[in-house]
Amino acid sequence: MGKTSAAVNLAALAARAGARTLLWDLDPQGGATYLFRVKPKVRGGAGKLLTRATAAASVIKATDEPGLDLLPADFSYRHMDLALDEFKRPTRRLARVLAPLLHDYEYVFLDCPPSISLVSESVFETAHALLVPVVPATLSSRTLAQLDGVLDDGPTLLPFFSMVDRRRRLHRQVMDELRAQRTDLLEAAIPQSAEVERMGLERESLSAFAPRGRAALAYAALWDEVRARVG
Amino acid sequence: MEFHPPVGMTMAEAAGFLSEALTVRQRPERGRERSYYDTFDGLLHSEGLELVFEAGDLVLADHGSGSARARASLPRPRRPLLVSSLTPGELRGALDEVVGVRALLSLARVHCRERAIDVIDDERKTVVRLTLSAPAVLVPDGSTEVLPPRLVVEGLRGYDDELAHVCGVLRDRLFFTDAAQSLADEAVLASGGTPGGVSSKAVVALDGEQSAASAVTAVLRAQLEIIEANLAGALADIDTEFLHDFRVAVRRTRAVQREAKDVFAPEGLARFRAEFRWLQQVTGAARDMDVYLLGFEVLRALIAAPLRVDLDPLLAVLHTRHRRAHTAMNRALRSERATSLPDAWRAFLIALEAGDGGPAATLPIAEVVGRRIRTVYRQMVRMGSAIDADTAPEDYHELRKKGKELRYLLELFGTPLYPAEVVKPLVKTLKALQDVLGRHQDREVQAATLRSLQDEVARAPGGVAALVAIGALIQRLAEDEQAARAQFKGHFAPFAAGDQRRLVKETFR
Repeated sequence: MGKTSAAVNLAALAARAGARTLLWDLDPQGGATYLFRVKPKVRGGAGKLLTRATAAASVIKATDEPGLDLLPADFSYRHMDLALDEFKRPTRRLARVLAPLLHDYEYVFLDCPPSISLVSESVFETAHALLVPVVPATLSSRTLAQLDGVLDDGPTLLPFFSMVDRRRRLHRQVMDELRAQRTDLLEAAIPQSAEVERMGLERESLSAFAPRGRAALAYAALWDEVRARVG
Repeated sequence: MEFHPPVGMTMAEAAGFLSEALTVRQRPERGRERSYYDTFDGLLHSEGLELVFEAGDLVLADHGSGSARARASLPRPRRPLLVSSLTPGELRGALDEVVGVRALLSLARVHCRERAIDVIDDERKTVVRLTLSAPAVLVPDGSTEVLPPRLVVEGLRGYDDELAHVCGVLRDRLFFTDAAQSLADEAVLASGGTPGGVSSKAVVALDGEQSAASAVTAVLRAQLEIIEANLAGALADIDTEFLHDFRVAVRRTRAVQREAKDVFAPEGLARFRAEFRWLQQVTGAARDMDVYLLGFEVLRALIAAPLRVDLDPLLAVLHTRHRRAHTAMNRALRSERATSLPDAWRAFLIALEAGDGGPAATLPIAEVVGRRIRTVYRQMVRMGSAIDADTAPEDYHELRKKGKELRYLLELFGTPLYPAEVVKPLVKTLKALQDVLGRHQDREVQAATLRSLQDEVARAPGGVAALVAIGALIQRLAEDEQAARAQFKGHFAPFAAGDQRRLVKETFR
């Protein structure tokens, strides 16, 4: 879908523009952590981080991107739903963990696990804006409609097309139909590209190894739009 | 953290040793040229800041970490840079807070060959950043002075153990030494400047038992240094503070001549009192015009908005007067009378220290100045108590002059000789009182100057409208003078309070 790739590239763009930026990799698969070459280890695991026995500040790692820090994922994050469920108001927990860090950063990106769970609901409650990569396939409008239902009066929904192949008629058709249905879709669309796939090999953001490529330029346009919407 | 490789090791050799001792990724070498800016008195340095011009950008950064606070793009400044000449924005705002009216001078220009070296872990993730450089200072005469190679070590968040390891390797295995000075300080020194700037607030350490002659000599020498250090800047009118600091040091010198007159040989003192009085007189008009121009927009804002633009002809006249006053001052300061004064004064001080002094020269300094501080304070309390709503402006002015005497005595002798818990509150209440007296006097003088300029302004284009605006301004100045009068009692009361009087009596004997 391009979720981790979007989180990594947009966070890198924010930092490169001079804003102190934090990316919290909440996905137990640790894609963002891997891409930034950080070891997937959080002292005490998710449990201690959520109870704040381990201060979030103490496990943050600087990435190789100047100005961009990472709160890495850890394998224990696969049980984060259970850990959150222990709390009285589980969906407010992430915000409490992040609270002491907010004066250090202008932007905090949360890379969600790829499902609707207690963790992602917590993200909906914590974030000001929710960036949703939408692959132009027939099920996309259904997924977005589902999200609309879950979000209610939550964060601003900012859907954008991802993994777009304009040579495919189906992609073009779905994009046209969805744009006709929804006014909140962002203009910038991230192309299906070998450069994005190469991120796994290079283990860097696109801004670092292919800043003038099609995908990097698309992310830059996306970031401009997101910034204009969220300020 | 910054290090120097062992003496004699070149940059290339250092890079080689680093590659052997640590797992690193070397980046290509590149050339950089940087110019460092600060005020004459090092205001940025004292705030832990650095202002660097590099590749079309002027960047304000933290001295230690180098992290940028604000930046602006501009052509290389050819002359000392006034903050007011910068485009409004983040950099101008940040500088204005620290620098105010002081000009930013180019203190050193450095060319560096530089190589970034990342210390990496087994995932090839950067854990410590190193920057190895070979700096050379471009000296104003066109030559270059090579500085020792330097290694900047920058830790990354979450990698403290790795940073400690790298520093350990540098110190214990590679025999690198911690750099005692920043590159900026080293470059300023190599360019003939003073890292941290030249302060005009020199407080000389004194001992109460020290002879009055030696203490007074030390204090006056420090003032003479300030006078000499600020002369060139005052002549070139680099910024208004050079002349201001020059004049403050002259006034402090005169205060010591007057307040400790029995310490000096009387016949010599009379000559130097006359000479320093002259020095103050010949610089007075230029300073008055500086103050007028510095505060002009504040004055303009005192009158109704539609009239403000009508003051432009007055501003033009003030600029002309300013230019003339500085020309006249420069002529006087370049005269034989002025240029021979420092050496003659220095010789007089040497003779004083050697025993050619007045009746109080051998007394302990605390005895001489303690008595004077108490007396001047008592005189001020008496003069201030006699002031009421009908008092003539001259009496306020006399009290202000007395206040300056006390201020200088406290600054020069009170701070080094007496307990801070007595001196500080006394200076604080005195400052508050002087502020209100100063405002009263300024308004009086400003109104008088405006009246004296009316004829000249009237002859200028737009002169009639300007006269109306000047009339309104004189009216506002008179109102503000009255407001200062009304505030006088409130500021005098804490200065002359019973507790403070008792403390002064007990402390300054």
